[in-house]
Amino acid sequence: MEEPLNRKLKPLSNKSVTLKTQSIEKSSYDVNAHDKFYAWFFLGPSLVILSIFVFYPMMRTLYLSFFLTNSLGHPSVFVGFSNYINLLTSSAYLDSLTATLIYVIAVSILTLVFGLLLAQTASKKIAGINIFRTIFSGTMGVSVSVAAIFWLFIFNPSIGLLDQVASFFHLPTINWLTQPSWAMTAVIISTVWMNLGFTFLIFFGAFQSVPKFFYEAAEIEGLSRSYQFFHITLPMISPTIFFISIITLIESFKSFGLIDLMTAGGPNNATNLLVYRIYQDAFLSGNYGSASTQSVILAIIIALFTLIQFKLLEKKVTY
Amino acid sequence: MKHFCRLSRGCPIIRKLLLSAFALALTLVFLNTHVNAAERTKVIFWHEMTGPAQEQLNKFVANYNQSQNKYTIVPQFEGNYNEVVQKFLNTHGTDASPALFQSMDISTNQISSSNYTTPVQKFIDENNYDVSKISAVARAFYSKNGSQLSMPFNTSQPVLYYNASLLKKYKITPPPINPSYSDITRVAQQLYQRSGKKVKGLSIEIYGWFFEQFLANSGVALANNADGHEGTPTSVSFDNPAAVAAMRWIQTNIKSDAFMNYGSGSNASANEMAGFLAGKLGMFLQSSSSISQLTAGTKDKIGVTYYPHPDNKKANGVSIGGASLWISNDKSAQVQRGAWNFIKYLMTPKNQAAWQVSTGYLALNQDSQKEAVLQKLYHRYPSSKVSSDQLRKTMPNTTNSGIFMQGLIQERTFIQTAMEQIYNGGDIQKALTEAQQSMNTAVKSANKANKAKN
Amino acid sequence: MSIELKNIAKTYDNKNWILKDINTKIETGEFFAIVGPSGCGKSTLLRMIAGLIPISSGDLQIDNRSVINLPPRERNLTMVFQDYALFPFLDVEANVGFGLKARKMPELKIKKRVAHALELVDLTALKTRKPRELSGGQRQRVALARAIASDAKICLMDEPLSNLDAQLRGKMRSEIRELQQRLGLTLIYVTHDQIEAMTMADRIMVLNNQQVQQVGSPLDIYQHPSNSFVGTFFGTPQMNILKAHCPHTHNQQLIIDPFLTFQSPLDLPAGDYFVGVRPVDFDLTTHVTRTNAFVRSVEYLGNEFIIYIKLDDSAEIRVVTSEKIDLNSNERVLIRPKNKFFIFDHSGKTISFMKGVQNNGRTSKQETQAIIQ
Repeated sequence: MEEPLNRKLKPLSNKSVTLKTQSIEKSSYDVNAHDKFYAWFFLGPSLVILSIFVFYPMMRTLYLSFFLTNSLGHPSVFVGFSNYINLLTSSAYLDSLTATLIYVIAVSILTLVFGLLLAQTASKKIAGINIFRTIFSGTMGVSVSVAAIFWLFIFNPSIGLLDQVASFFHLPTINWLTQPSWAMTAVIISTVWMNLGFTFLIFFGAFQSVPKFFYEAAEIEGLSRSYQFFHITLPMISPTIFFISIITLIESFKSFGLIDLMTAGGPNNATNLLVYRIYQDAFLSGNYGSASTQSVILAIIIALFTLIQFKLLEKKVTY
Repeated sequence: MKHFCRLSRGCPIIRKLLLSAFALALTLVFLNTHVNAAERTKVIFWHEMTGPAQEQLNKFVANYNQSQNKYTIVPQFEGNYNEVVQKFLNTHGTDASPALFQSMDISTNQISSSNYTTPVQKFIDENNYDVSKISAVARAFYSKNGSQLSMPFNTSQPVLYYNASLLKKYKITPPPINPSYSDITRVAQQLYQRSGKKVKGLSIEIYGWFFEQFLANSGVALANNADGHEGTPTSVSFDNPAAVAAMRWIQTNIKSDAFMNYGSGSNASANEMAGFLAGKLGMFLQSSSSISQLTAGTKDKIGVTYYPHPDNKKANGVSIGGASLWISNDKSAQVQRGAWNFIKYLMTPKNQAAWQVSTGYLALNQDSQKEAVLQKLYHRYPSSKVSSDQLRKTMPNTTNSGIFMQGLIQERTFIQTAMEQIYNGGDIQKALTEAQQSMNTAVKSANKANKAKN
Repeated sequence: MSIELKNIAKTYDNKNWILKDINTKIETGEFFAIVGPSGCGKSTLLRMIAGLIPISSGDLQIDNRSVINLPPRERNLTMVFQDYALFPFLDVEANVGFGLKARKMPELKIKKRVAHALELVDLTALKTRKPRELSGGQRQRVALARAIASDAKICLMDEPLSNLDAQLRGKMRSEIRELQQRLGLTLIYVTHDQIEAMTMADRIMVLNNQQVQQVGSPLDIYQHPSNSFVGTFFGTPQMNILKAHCPHTHNQQLIIDPFLTFQSPLDLPAGDYFVGVRPVDFDLTTHVTRTNAFVRSVEYLGNEFIIYIKLDDSAEIRVVTSEKIDLNSNERVLIRPKNKFFIFDHSGKTISFMKGVQNNGRTSKQETQAIIQ
């Protein structure tokens, strides 16, 4: 039906196109001033708001990162790059960086894996599966503070749930939050748990959106369930996986609430992640200069990671 | 609704009545605020008290506002100690800033050197207020060159708590009132062993304050220039023999497994308290203000001793902790006077006694000891008198009057990191030296930023 | 390979039947279309044959062997889906070889088979493209290639052309038919489009109301519909169904209006009937004084006209004529029968197939009587 119509219109439309371009070129001079006015009129307000709340703070942060700040928080001595040099040569800061990387990577991977597992489980057609779907997405409605209290109770050294279970089975008890190696584990577990609700929901939605006929085609080919999962489901939802991995990565770089409430960066700075360090430096110690430097470095790190992720994953996310 | 509309539109008398009633109401509202504004001066008061202390503080405010008609104190809760310092510095000179505010012990130098406050000494002199009644150790903490910067308010000292009932159960002699490190070790070991390793003997929260107090009680300065009382400190000393001795004492107990590590931060103290109340912990160091929570939380008899001191050495006495009240200088003289009057009201013997009874913070007015409510408390819980005694017996000197320097929040962070390493079996000397180096760098850069003269 | 359906039925709740009493035998190499309106259960039937959905009762035999308990793979068939089921992340070649690779066939053999299949559908040049870079028709051909590559002798197709535009559909119809014959496939083809069924199939199964309405060759179904549903389902524009009255038994007259009467080839008891007339089987006269209808609208299709007409007794009919006529809306016309029509009883069952004047139907007079009684 459309074919003949198109064919009919072809010579006509060619003409009209040339006509149009001419008219645009001709009128562009008169309209310019007018257009400019409208451009400013409509873009102006958002530009002002962005300048006040985004551009100015960004530039200010960059500016402050080259200064020492006095006890009132005012920049007092220009020090050039020495804030940067001091930080990047400070073993404490580098430890913090390492801890952050471990945390971010572990949280991202575990969130993805467990999110996929839960979504896969919830996609099964079993009686009462709706209850599990609700439970799995439950942590979305849990605030950070409630989650922290919940996990603090579980990890409590004297009366905690985990240690009670451990001692019941005569297993050695662990001081979850006071031993550096375990504290990181505990914080990672809690963060992953917090992330799962959202991740599960997004993955579950993605699973549902994979057309049924792919699985039917696979059934006819006699493919196993696991083959279907890895060769159909995963590639089909790869854009979602990409989305979740970026979101989780950036969010975990910015983790603050659970750290503040559960370990406050301790023990022995084991969980003193970059953002928490910035908070401590700026809002407790009042070292705005150093805190600004750290913010700039963190921004660069996040940008780098996102870039790498785009480069690595865009090859895999092919549609 | 419809009915009403029809009436008011239809009949002019009712409409007039309604209008005049509205006008009257408006006038009354305006008059009312006008009367208040004319007669009473508003004093915004920032504080960081929670729980029973907040309740008692609000009671004081209400009573004070009722007792006179010149000032209205408006209390505003501002969150935790740490954040309020920056909040105050950043709001100074704006409408959002307070006239009177409470700020923690270790922020003293920072607040005073901001020059955003009027030293209370000015009002003490104006009023010929007799400060000698107020605890000398507490005053010393918040003064510089003999001038009182702020008024000590909620004040506590660290003490050692023990579960007397538990010790009795396992037939262990309680520690003496002024114990040495080894006295405590002895009790801790006995309790751990005799309870079949079910009860941990001792816990010391990873908290910079305790570290500072070990030095104070040993008579050793943490910062040079006499802990800053004789000039801006330019370096700190964390790895001195007194500090090493205290840390070694802790590590000995950790190695014998009689020690329980609850970590650092507010969770640590909460967990520690819970462990103690559950009978799983025999002794711990904590602020004297914890007493009311402890006596309310358990039926066991609770014992209190002074802060432990090094073996073979007399206790130098510990400094205080807590917070003081500051008067901001960006408000009118009248408002500042209102703030001072309220401070005076808080410091009366009666109110200080009530403060100690309801909160566990120590009564700073010496005359409070004679107040009936306090006497009653001592009678009921004799152990609660121990901390009052410790405070009274402490003779202030430069090493037990706090550290007068900036960046103490950072100092505590460094110290706590070192303590965490030590608690996890790390090398004492190494941990302390590292923390000391970090702090010295910070001190140097802060002094540079503040252009302090050495 | 032949497929036999024996009393197949489907229900999900043991109360409501989606399908029942499905019986037929599909011969080796046959192109068998299952056709019916949407929701008639044709896709369900196809999935039951494939083994994707369990059969509630009855038996399914492939080459005289019951396959009821066999998983899809062991039924040795292949399936082409309406949406092609092409993996967007794989190129054409990988899509065609997907099943073979999953079955761990040697790489070289896969390559050969895929190349052969792509050649058959004329897609060799596009083998490195991703599905999104292909047109609808090309995607369809990839799906076909996949079916070809699997080498199964039974192929099931579920509305494979419904996502294509009309022109392409026509082209693909003949391509599929050609492929089926060339490869000797037994093909079961599900569609809602009667034209596809008519033009492609050797035999057609018409499904409606959970049941088989008729199974037969396209010609048979068109000329001898078993009931008014089948009659109206095949042929465009649709067959007209008119309510007619037979005033007296033995009269053999079915009256719609004084000008529009049908002469039944058989004796009918007095009563109400339905007369089915295909749009081409009306005689339309203009410019006469005695009329029984008026023109509502006219559609011109190039080689013929579809005229929408309202009879005076208010029934609407469609008339197709290839004569060049000039008609205006609301123009009065005379509609008369051409004596090629079907008679259905009140339930829609066919009583008589009329062609010309003599009974051309397979239903004998006796049988018709039996049906009526």
